[in-house]
Amino acid sequence: MKIKRRDFLKLSAAAGAAATLRKPTLNAFAKDDDSKMAMGELPGEWKPSTCQGCTTWCPVEIFVQDGRAVKVRGNRYSKQNDGKVCPRGHLSLQQVYDPDRIKFPMKRTNPQKGRGVDPKFVPISWDEALNTIADKMMELRDAGEPEKFSLMRGRYTYLRDIIYDVMPKVFGSPNNISHSSTCAEAEKFGSYYTEGYWAYRDYDLDKTKYLLVWGCDPVSSNRMVPAAIKKLGDVIDRATVAVVDPKMNNTSAKAHEWLPVLPGTDGALALGIAHVMLTEGIWYKDFVGDFKDGTNRFQSGTEVDENTFEEKESYGVVKWWNIAVKDMTPAKAAELSGVSAEQIIRVAKGMGKAAPNVCVWMGPGCAMHVRGGYSAMAVHALAGLTGGSDNEGGSLQTAKIPVNKLNKDLLKTFQDDLAKKHSKMKKIDQRGYLNLPAISKGKSGGGVATNNVANGILNKDPYEIKMIVGYMNNFAFSCNGTDRWEKALASVPFTVHLTTNASEFSQFADIVLPCVVNKYEKYGFVKTKANRYATCTLLQPVVEPVWDVITDETEFPFLISEKLKERGFPNLYDALTTMYVDPETGRKAKNGKEFTEYALKYYTAPLWDGKKDSHGDKINGWEEMKKRGMWNSEAYQYKSHWGGKYKTKTGKFEFYGETLKKALGGHAEKHNVDIDKVLEESNYTARGELAFVPHYEPPHRNGDMKKYPFIFIDYKSRLNREGRSQNCPWYYEFKHLDPGDVSHQDSLKINPADAKKLGIKDGDTVRISSIGGSGECVAHLWEGVRPGTVAKAYGQGHWAYGNTAAADYANAKERGVNNNTIIPWDIDRLSGSNARNGGQAVVKIEKV
Amino acid sequence: MTQYAMVIDLRKCVGCGACALACKTENNTALRKNGQTHNWADFLHETTGKFPDTGYKTQPVLCNHCSNAPCIEACPVEPKAMYKTADGITMHNAERCIGCRACQEACPYSMEEVTRDGEYGEYSVISYNEEGQPTHPFYTENKPLIPGCTSSGIDTARAYRATPPHRTKYIDQDYEDVRRNNIVEKCIFCRHLVVKGELPYCVDSCPAGARIFGDKDDPKSEVAQLMKKHKSTVLKPDAGTEPNVYYIRKYSAK
Repeated sequence: MKIKRRDFLKLSAAAGAAATLRKPTLNAFAKDDDSKMAMGELPGEWKPSTCQGCTTWCPVEIFVQDGRAVKVRGNRYSKQNDGKVCPRGHLSLQQVYDPDRIKFPMKRTNPQKGRGVDPKFVPISWDEALNTIADKMMELRDAGEPEKFSLMRGRYTYLRDIIYDVMPKVFGSPNNISHSSTCAEAEKFGSYYTEGYWAYRDYDLDKTKYLLVWGCDPVSSNRMVPAAIKKLGDVIDRATVAVVDPKMNNTSAKAHEWLPVLPGTDGALALGIAHVMLTEGIWYKDFVGDFKDGTNRFQSGTEVDENTFEEKESYGVVKWWNIAVKDMTPAKAAELSGVSAEQIIRVAKGMGKAAPNVCVWMGPGCAMHVRGGYSAMAVHALAGLTGGSDNEGGSLQTAKIPVNKLNKDLLKTFQDDLAKKHSKMKKIDQRGYLNLPAISKGKSGGGVATNNVANGILNKDPYEIKMIVGYMNNFAFSCNGTDRWEKALASVPFTVHLTTNASEFSQFADIVLPCVVNKYEKYGFVKTKANRYATCTLLQPVVEPVWDVITDETEFPFLISEKLKERGFPNLYDALTTMYVDPETGRKAKNGKEFTEYALKYYTAPLWDGKKDSHGDKINGWEEMKKRGMWNSEAYQYKSHWGGKYKTKTGKFEFYGETLKKALGGHAEKHNVDIDKVLEESNYTARGELAFVPHYEPPHRNGDMKKYPFIFIDYKSRLNREGRSQNCPWYYEFKHLDPGDVSHQDSLKINPADAKKLGIKDGDTVRISSIGGSGECVAHLWEGVRPGTVAKAYGQGHWAYGNTAAADYANAKERGVNNNTIIPWDIDRLSGSNARNGGQAVVKIEKV
Repeated sequence: MTQYAMVIDLRKCVGCGACALACKTENNTALRKNGQTHNWADFLHETTGKFPDTGYKTQPVLCNHCSNAPCIEACPVEPKAMYKTADGITMHNAERCIGCRACQEACPYSMEEVTRDGEYGEYSVISYNEEGQPTHPFYTENKPLIPGCTSSGIDTARAYRATPPHRTKYIDQDYEDVRRNNIVEKCIFCRHLVVKGELPYCVDSCPAGARIFGDKDDPKSEVAQLMKKHKSTVLKPDAGTEPNVYYIRKYSAK
């Protein structure tokens, strides 16, 4: 290249004259006197859909030219993103036009299964694929064991009801397994067992005076990302922003305070802040109440008489103080958490001053630990102490979205005796076992334990799984302890994967079915919220797929129901065609495409049929709904749950968890043990009364720190479209947008002091190992991580998915290393969550 | 006179990258190859201090559309391929460009070969499309992942009749929406949009509202007002290039 340039320089103007002959087409414009009029974008149309690259679930619009998707922006009607998207929105164009997409159904021809074993996929017809699947399903029913069928769900829309509920239940299986607990169930545990809300919160950034972000990076991931991006600068100008995260993140880089907590000690830090607020008398008294005589009796180490205090919107603050807070002085919290006492005091005082307009933004980093349930509660308890719970400038619940629900009674009428009986059997994730309370929403075994499915399958407990249908999921990549998943999936006799790409999960499949890319080619709807507005937004096919793909959640069950009907089991077909008639005409669907649209109309009808006030945007009919693509609620009313209306046992914000006590008690009773035994079996240390309050649990670390001396920090890249953007080249080019990361490499951030001790230089290839597994990545020396910890973004390390994502697909060689291989298998047993944070993984680093 | 300029409010910027990715979708720029980033918009990062008193910031970078542009001076062809439009955009005429790369060498914000990225202070405003090579080899390759079952680059481009398949088609009197080989390329402030009264696409797409575009010679424009209100800086002021991309306010509150 250099030679060419210098040659040209010598040639100078002569070459220029020659070059003008090259492109006659451009001359036409250059000669046109009115040339500026001819310039501009060629015609196209902005069409609405929904981005599901993260859990914001943004209403978007896609610019379509000649039937191709070319650009992305936010939906013009959105009150949460104001027409803008985050980088993921743009990145997704490389997903829909991914050169490695599967074009046809394929089947495995190599019966051997395992990582690195070539499945020897060959293309087959849709008919052969569906016939094979239906035959396998009928074998299970004929053998009287439909429970051995499992439906595994990954990224979904609310049309999931059809593939996830109706299909397995009518067929006769209890094993519809969602991915929900890979993300954030422990986080929901925190808000549920304090304020009775099993969901992500909304955050009132416009009115907040103190924003405390804990264990997440709102301008990069978690919730309402474009809104957080838009507002953060103004919040910094107007309020105080403090960020708790074990490594520097995008929000902490800009914030007033960064509290670099030692992984897994969030509970101590939260209690330390609470301790200061209580001893200083700066809790929010209109919410928590006060001492009857106005004298503050909260003194470090001193018990307080409950009768001296009168609470308002909360319950059990004095009990909490006596059981867990009184001894957690800032000095002790500092010793445990690695955050200085001065900073703890400063942050606590700042929050007290700003109360009640304090927004506690609790993320998965403080919750998804082996013992994370209580630390999530401890962090969310600060929303109570400051009165920011359900309040202006604080963390909010949601306005209602009045869509139709699955008609469960009607569904039951299509279940035969076999289905009725077997769909009530125990589930393969062992939820509700003594050592796995998974007490979602107060019920023993009420929530999924996705990661424990691998154990259920391997141990054939409660029974064997003979058939899996998975869609938009990749548990062999997305769940920590990938080795266990690989073994489990290899042991299942027949697996079907509905996917866009040949992912890690697909490598264990017998049949792989090509599916639509959800943002661009799929019908569906999702419910989301931000900035006080609840939103229902449609996914719509804005472009025609060119490959032979189907819509996973609706067309697949419909096509299978036809095949099952041919084989003498018409129940599913009858259920689908009866439950989802066109709400406008009453017509029954004749094919999968019609069925998809009827189902979408059935669910969303209350938003556009004009029959009742939707308490939101007025939309006249289905055509207008499709054209707008979304519906906004009215603004959420502050304090909707004050006045004893929290959905807890006491109706109050619980610092002493009566709701939790009841849930744990119910689980203990089911197993004829006491609650202490439940906690012991669940790998928690609390006994007695401590089990009912937000408290500090010592972090559980998997591995001997003498052998594995570094604590591993896992977090999300701002370019992750969950695990699905790593086949996009732009992902690697812009990887340096993650603080401390370097483009085109899988960067392990090491503090320079540690690197020096290990003799590691910046850019060295290193091997990272834990008791779970090991792999190679590149060291980047960075002061954004604490000595003794190392950090790496989740995302890279694919050994399948595509030519860009994997180093060598044909030989199952990974590009970088998957964090979920390094993080050993483990779960938080109280919530059922995958445990990937809190420093459960300890590692050693060696120069290669 | 009009002098288009951009003000980047670093307090609002969160370094998310939406601007740079949006630019790639608008201008159909290539993937990094031959040491060329083809990122008309990019980022510099800086980590300062020692843990726990660590500082970190991101600074978006793009062509500065300098009033005293070395790239124009260095351009050897007549009339020049790099030239100033009447409204102050440093424009590149693809037809006259001979791919000599003198502009790239002259530009203090460009590198002949970018081996790393903004984490190491490397980026390049001007990129070069190698002679005889396709602009988008990712979509000309014929290497199906699973033969007979999956697509390939060329297969995808053919099926959608566009390279890249997400090609945004536009007309500009100096530029094609996908550049040919053996010419340089860089940010043109989305002149094809600006002449229509629209904003450069990075500005339009910034979710933080951190990029503000307008005529700095018009005292009523937002850019002029912001420059009046805040102290502004430019990159490499000592180079004498007189950039028209200005930075205001501090990235971090600390």
